[in-house]
Amino acid sequence: MKDNVASTIAFILLLCLNISFLNGQSPPGKPEILKCRSPDKETFTCWWKPGTDGGLPTNYSLTYVREGDENTYECPDYKTSGPNSCFFSKKYTSIWKIYIITVNATNQMGTTASEPLYVDVTYIVEPEPPRNLSLEVKWPKDRKPYLLIRWSPPNITDLRSGWFTMEYEIRLKSEETDEWEIHFAGQQTQFKIFSLYPGQKYFVQTRCKPDHGYWSRWGQESAIDIPNDFTMKDTTVWIFVAVLSAVICLIMVWAVALKGYSMMTCIFPPVPGPKIKGFDTHLLEKGKSEELLSALGCQDFPPTSDCEDLLVEFLEVDDNEDEQLMPSHSKEYPGQGVKPTHLDPDSDSGHGSYDSHSLLSEKCEEPQAYPPTFHIPEIIEKPENPEENITPIQDPQSNIPYFHADVSKSSTWPLLPGQHMPRSPYHSIADVCKLAGAPVDAVASFLDKAGKNALKSSKAFETGKEEKVAKQEMESLHSKTKEETSWPLLQEKASFIYAKPLDYVEIHKVNKDGVLSLLPKQKENCDQVEKPRASETSKEYAKVSGVTDNNILVLVPESQVQNMALFEESAKKAPSPLEQNQSEKDLASFAGTSSNCRLQLGRLDYLDPTCFMHSFH
Amino acid sequence: SVMNSQGSAQKAGTLLLLVVSNLLFCQNVHPLPICPSGDCKMSLQDMFDRLVMLSHYIHSLSSEIFIEFDQRYAQGRGFIAKAINGCHTSSLPTPEDKEQAQQIPPEVLLKLVISLLHAWNDPLYQLVTEVGGIHEAPDGMVSRAKEIEAQIKQLLEGIQKIIGQVHPGANENEIYSVWAQLPSLQAADEESRLFAFYNLLHCLRRDSHKVDNYLKILKCRIVYQNNC
Repeated sequence: MKDNVASTIAFILLLCLNISFLNGQSPPGKPEILKCRSPDKETFTCWWKPGTDGGLPTNYSLTYVREGDENTYECPDYKTSGPNSCFFSKKYTSIWKIYIITVNATNQMGTTASEPLYVDVTYIVEPEPPRNLSLEVKWPKDRKPYLLIRWSPPNITDLRSGWFTMEYEIRLKSEETDEWEIHFAGQQTQFKIFSLYPGQKYFVQTRCKPDHGYWSRWGQESAIDIPNDFTMKDTTVWIFVAVLSAVICLIMVWAVALKGYSMMTCIFPPVPGPKIKGFDTHLLEKGKSEELLSALGCQDFPPTSDCEDLLVEFLEVDDNEDEQLMPSHSKEYPGQGVKPTHLDPDSDSGHGSYDSHSLLSEKCEEPQAYPPTFHIPEIIEKPENPEENITPIQDPQSNIPYFHADVSKSSTWPLLPGQHMPRSPYHSIADVCKLAGAPVDAVASFLDKAGKNALKSSKAFETGKEEKVAKQEMESLHSKTKEETSWPLLQEKASFIYAKPLDYVEIHKVNKDGVLSLLPKQKENCDQVEKPRASETSKEYAKVSGVTDNNILVLVPESQVQNMALFEESAKKAPSPLEQNQSEKDLASFAGTSSNCRLQLGRLDYLDPTCFMHSFH
Repeated sequence: SVMNSQGSAQKAGTLLLLVVSNLLFCQNVHPLPICPSGDCKMSLQDMFDRLVMLSHYIHSLSSEIFIEFDQRYAQGRGFIAKAINGCHTSSLPTPEDKEQAQQIPPEVLLKLVISLLHAWNDPLYQLVTEVGGIHEAPDGMVSRAKEIEAQIKQLLEGIQKIIGQVHPGANENEIYSVWAQLPSLQAADEESRLFAFYNLLHCLRRDSHKVDNYLKILKCRIVYQNNC
């Protein structure tokens, strides 16, 4: 029976439990003690978080054991600190002792205890924030204004006896910024701020902390408007500003003065004045014209001749008194060639004029032995034109009548001073004259006033092709030496100046006497042609047809004189050796028949080839 | 030789008489500030400020050592439970709250402070010596322990000076507490050894806080008359 009753009771109990479980009821979940805090090191509070209640009303209780006391006590005050808390008053608080605190959750189903918390009040101190925060802008006499922040410690802490020691911190920010500016204030309950912007609104907060413990939360925020004349009263600031501005202005003026010149030159670049290379103004001032012009590269200034426009290179046609074709003296070459005043390569005088008078008459006076033939290697000064280093084909034995003008002088061929010579394949008349033996398509070219044609000629000279042509011409010339290509050499210093066919140009010269002109043959009479005319055709005037009385050198178009290579010696001179070819006879015959075509220029006589042409055809 | 012994006895007697008479005379005399080190210009306020500064610093160091050790070696071992009632200085009658602290006469409190500081001479020395037994002991621990030692020495000197000024002749009845936990520091078992260090550091932290708090109370009471 008893067993039955016991088992029945047990069965019923189990049934009830099962029913409870089926209803979802269970013992409470485990509560958790959140934290314990003491605001004044004299009391403390613990808060817990309840666990699940298991579906039933649950009670919580807190029990503790204190170090040095073996008894277990329950929380003396569940109310003061709010729900789920336990407040330990002074009576129950001891510091420098460990408390073992446990929270129990109890419901109908059972009790669940939390994990014990070991806490020493000494180390859980967290005060309330400071009170009575006040802000004030102070304006002391003769001193800088500042913001005075004052506060009071929290109410309950005992600082007077020294039991509690507090430290403070303030933070402030202006209305516009987002970041707080934090200042540690130590143990004092006031703070002065000096560097504030006038006209702005500032917010201030404080918090505190025990000497060994946690910081409180930030206290109530206070705001203050800084008056606009915060720094106006500070006259020293204005004096400083004025001095600084003056200093800055001085620095700027000084910088402008230093750099101003370069700035001005940058903005307004100086206009370059005319400059003559090698021109020394000091020499000019001293009146030493010779030195001045020698520095410029001139020589013999004023020139011994009556050529006034001396920035000119002369193409000299000299009378060779030797009547011989002799190799030029190489020694004469370099120096004399530069005797005439050279054109300044930098200047744009464009005076490509040749003093034909000097060339044709006066220079002829020079008792220089200008060989009618050329020794080309000697003549050729510039090594850049090796093509011109042709073996001297001209020799006295050559049948080709060459007239070598003043080789040295002719070294300064068209317009170009010696230094420009490299550009010209024909560095001298000699070079030109080597072609003189070429068939009649050789052309002498002279520079006109514009010098354009000179440049053309020089260009023509420059081209190696031209040179090769010249060579070929030379060779052909040689080949023709036996032929009728008799160049009646001018007995004297007549020189054939020819180059690759070019436009004839008109030569001007300063002095009035000689005008060397190149005229189209068709327009020309056997008579003199005085008027210089620019070339109007593109025909190549490859041949000097004659020289008029007025020192006009007449050129014949190439085409017209292609088959002719005839010049008749002047009767005055003995026939040059060049005439000693077969054609001499022809020439002689021509000479006789066309005396009327003879033109005389100085001591040079030339025959008008047109006369010859007529004779031929 | 008989004459010498008699002369020395006479000299000793004269000296003793002089000392006793001085003591008798000096009892009712207001104690002049005694400056054994010659630093007589330091006021009481300055001395207390310096003491408080030293004690504050010592406790800061002790806290740092303990927290570092706790985080590194004591997690999950339940050392705190075993450390209850484990401090060797618990026998000293130190006040446990503010009221008790305010009721104790200042000189008694000073004496207690001295006793507390003396009680840590030996353990600190042993701590520095035996810390090598800890596996991978942090360097900060040893240096801080040495620093604490030095600072406590200075603190003791300062307190002695103050006692000489405030309460001369109060050197009797010093309570000594004995520290007998050296074998624990040298235990073979690492767990025991670690707990021994933990306990030692825990008690050092507490006692340094006591010293600091007591001195701050004394400062406010003596220098500012309870009006800090």
